[in-house]
Amino acid sequence: MIALALLMAQSVAVPAAVTRGEQIFAQNCSVGYCHGVAGAAGRGPRLRGRSFAKDYLFNVTRDGIPSSAMPAWKDRLKDDDIRAVVEYVASLASSTDPAPPANPMPPGAGPAAMPSFKGPAAAARGHELFFDPVRGNCGVCHAVGGRGIAIGPDLTSSKPSEILSETGATRSRHVLMAKLKTGEEFPALLVEQTRDQVRLYDLTQSPPVMRTLLGPEVLSLVPNASWRHSDFVKDYSRPELDEVVVYLRWVASGK
Amino acid sequence: MNSFRGAGPPVRGRTTPRRPIPGSLILLLVLICHISAQDNTTQADWPHYGGQRSAWRYSALDQINRSNVGRLQAVWAFQTGKVDGGFNATPLVIDGVMYVASSWNRIFAIEADTGKEIWHYFYPNPREIGIIYSPWTRGVAVGGGRVFTGTLDNYVVALDQKTGRELWRVNVEDMRQCGCNITGAPLIVKDKVIVGVTGGDSAHRGYLTAFDASTGRRAWRFWTIPGPGERGHETWAGDSWKFGGGATWMTGSYDSELNLLYWGVGNAAADFYGEARRGTNLYTDSIIALDPDTGKLKWYYQEIPHDMWDFDAAFECVLLDAPVNGVQRKLLLNVNKGGYTFVMDRTNGEFISAWPVADSINWIQGVDAKGNLVGRNEPAVGKTSLMCPSIGGGRQWNHGSYSPRTGWFYTTGIEWCEEVTVSPEDPKEGMNFFGAVFQLKPPLHGPAGGHLDAYDPVTGKKFWSYPSKYPLLASQLSTAGDLVFTGDPEGNFFAVDARTGKKLWSFPTGSGHRGSPIAYSVNGRQYIATPSGWGSALAGLLPQLWPETESFPPGSTLFVFALPAEER
Repeated sequence: MIALALLMAQSVAVPAAVTRGEQIFAQNCSVGYCHGVAGAAGRGPRLRGRSFAKDYLFNVTRDGIPSSAMPAWKDRLKDDDIRAVVEYVASLASSTDPAPPANPMPPGAGPAAMPSFKGPAAAARGHELFFDPVRGNCGVCHAVGGRGIAIGPDLTSSKPSEILSETGATRSRHVLMAKLKTGEEFPALLVEQTRDQVRLYDLTQSPPVMRTLLGPEVLSLVPNASWRHSDFVKDYSRPELDEVVVYLRWVASGK
Repeated sequence: MNSFRGAGPPVRGRTTPRRPIPGSLILLLVLICHISAQDNTTQADWPHYGGQRSAWRYSALDQINRSNVGRLQAVWAFQTGKVDGGFNATPLVIDGVMYVASSWNRIFAIEADTGKEIWHYFYPNPREIGIIYSPWTRGVAVGGGRVFTGTLDNYVVALDQKTGRELWRVNVEDMRQCGCNITGAPLIVKDKVIVGVTGGDSAHRGYLTAFDASTGRRAWRFWTIPGPGERGHETWAGDSWKFGGGATWMTGSYDSELNLLYWGVGNAAADFYGEARRGTNLYTDSIIALDPDTGKLKWYYQEIPHDMWDFDAAFECVLLDAPVNGVQRKLLLNVNKGGYTFVMDRTNGEFISAWPVADSINWIQGVDAKGNLVGRNEPAVGKTSLMCPSIGGGRQWNHGSYSPRTGWFYTTGIEWCEEVTVSPEDPKEGMNFFGAVFQLKPPLHGPAGGHLDAYDPVTGKKFWSYPSKYPLLASQLSTAGDLVFTGDPEGNFFAVDARTGKKLWSFPTGSGHRGSPIAYSVNGRQYIATPSGWGSALAGLLPQLWPETESFPPGSTLFVFALPAEER
């Protein structure tokens, strides 16, 4: 009875932030091969029984740890949630048992993180089309909103009318025709040209391939190649492209 | 462009003089293997990830053998300089040059007899990888004058084999979108380099991709989860196919005679929460056989319909021929992470047999004569269940070895369980999609631990067992010297007698073993090489059962051994 009373007293004393942090931790940090149940260690380091400054915990959780598997959580969790996780992890410092006896995952708990797309409904469809993994996928060549591969031009600084005319154009002001000594020819996007080498994207098909060539391997780079962007958006209808533009306009202006 | 060829058959005639072979039966076995399976064993070179593309990890070199292995000496060591994530690779050796990858996509070409570096290439990974399948790398592929690697940020890179100069790189998919990247070694088949991706524990739809080895242009992609209108799509409820896992994170095999590419497919996602993906969930936990020229499916065999335990069928596909009920068959052997080995006919995917590599198994009661799982024990939603083996597997990804001399398959097994608490989870594209938390537990009977065993590959009859305090997480190498080499988490690299399991030699390398040893020869001298370097996801989990392993030192050193020069 005394032990039970002590337990109850303890549970009453747990601050709400720690309890909330425990849930968020269970759903995001324990999972997979990461920090293990209640920080008992996994692929990530053990957090249980270790002392960390709360500022440090907050910063590494929010911003991630460069050159490591620790991601930045700032786009996945709200600051309040990160603070709750910090309170919870700090509360594990006095735990001396290497592994907790019980599993703290609350049965039936739902995910705690933010939805993946935070924009208005009007832009959501365009966002989905832009990154549709089954279709051409604009993100294969264009980075927008922290996603996609930055090969082609930044679309958020272009006028919507330009984007639409470019997707339908049979020529592009960005694309060159590369001719190699081997006789090979392909439409290319120049990345860099130094004294010794030429680095360019081969745009023959999606995804583009970045090739690094020694200077003498390249015979010529001729502008205004007859590369057609329209070939790469043929899976999208015109109304769908309009929806993509709505999304891009929202990213660029917030409207 | 020039015609593109693989690394080619091993150069013959560079092995040492043959010893008298005891026993007419063995002689017969050797003859059969030399006639029918020449390409499956390695000689001077170790040209592919699994030795040859049949994944035997068997060397026909016998200069180092049972009688002299006790005098094996370290002849050189090579430091990669990055210990984070451990040293998980299989080195390749071609014409006296070793090609090896360490974590963070560091690639080295090294003189295989001296250890002198010829070139290195450090891939410029972004500062933040931010997904859980990193930063380890299991190896490179070499062919057509190029070295190929997959990167932590999901690119495929081709280097010039002579200079290490980058020739091309191509993004497989934005890792932030797919929650996937590349940690396995690519496989070269004819003019293509074939690359699998991780992502099985993410909200991800798996695939296997082939690139033209010369230009880097994408040749085909096979989705491991069929899309709308495709056969097998009906095995996924609702939209669950979009994020159902099915990662292709290890390296496949290739049969040039059948022109079939074999690849193992990982678990379904969410790993433990299956309510939203009712159905058998093709082609997760399956072996797929593809036409390597087109990427078209020829056959599949699903080992675990509707996986509820995170048990991949992603490990090596060992292509061997053996009699089944008196008839010689072309077989494929795959050890499933759930602790059962599945053997099938590799011409058509017909089930042949299944047998366990671990004792602590409670997720099923067994596998019937037709390959059906009997007595499924699924973890219930909202409850905590004891499941055996643990998520770490009845065996881990580290590869077994098949010796044509003994006709036995050598592989490891792990005895451990987990308490897993399942919770409903909605997918968020590219994010972890797991549906549970877990805690490792010892088995109900006996202590947690590991073992290395010798089996009949068809019947699973066990011929010997070598016990280990900790799970053995390094691959096996078997050789014509009747030796099996492997390493342990404490840093010992050792050889056992392939016929008895008796330990004959051991060498402390100072850091635990998570990679794959190989054999090769240069100028008639045989070498055994092994990565040493503790790390990886599994190494990180071990402290849950063995707290002392938390202080096991990381490392990333390649050790190479040979007999004293005057002895050969």
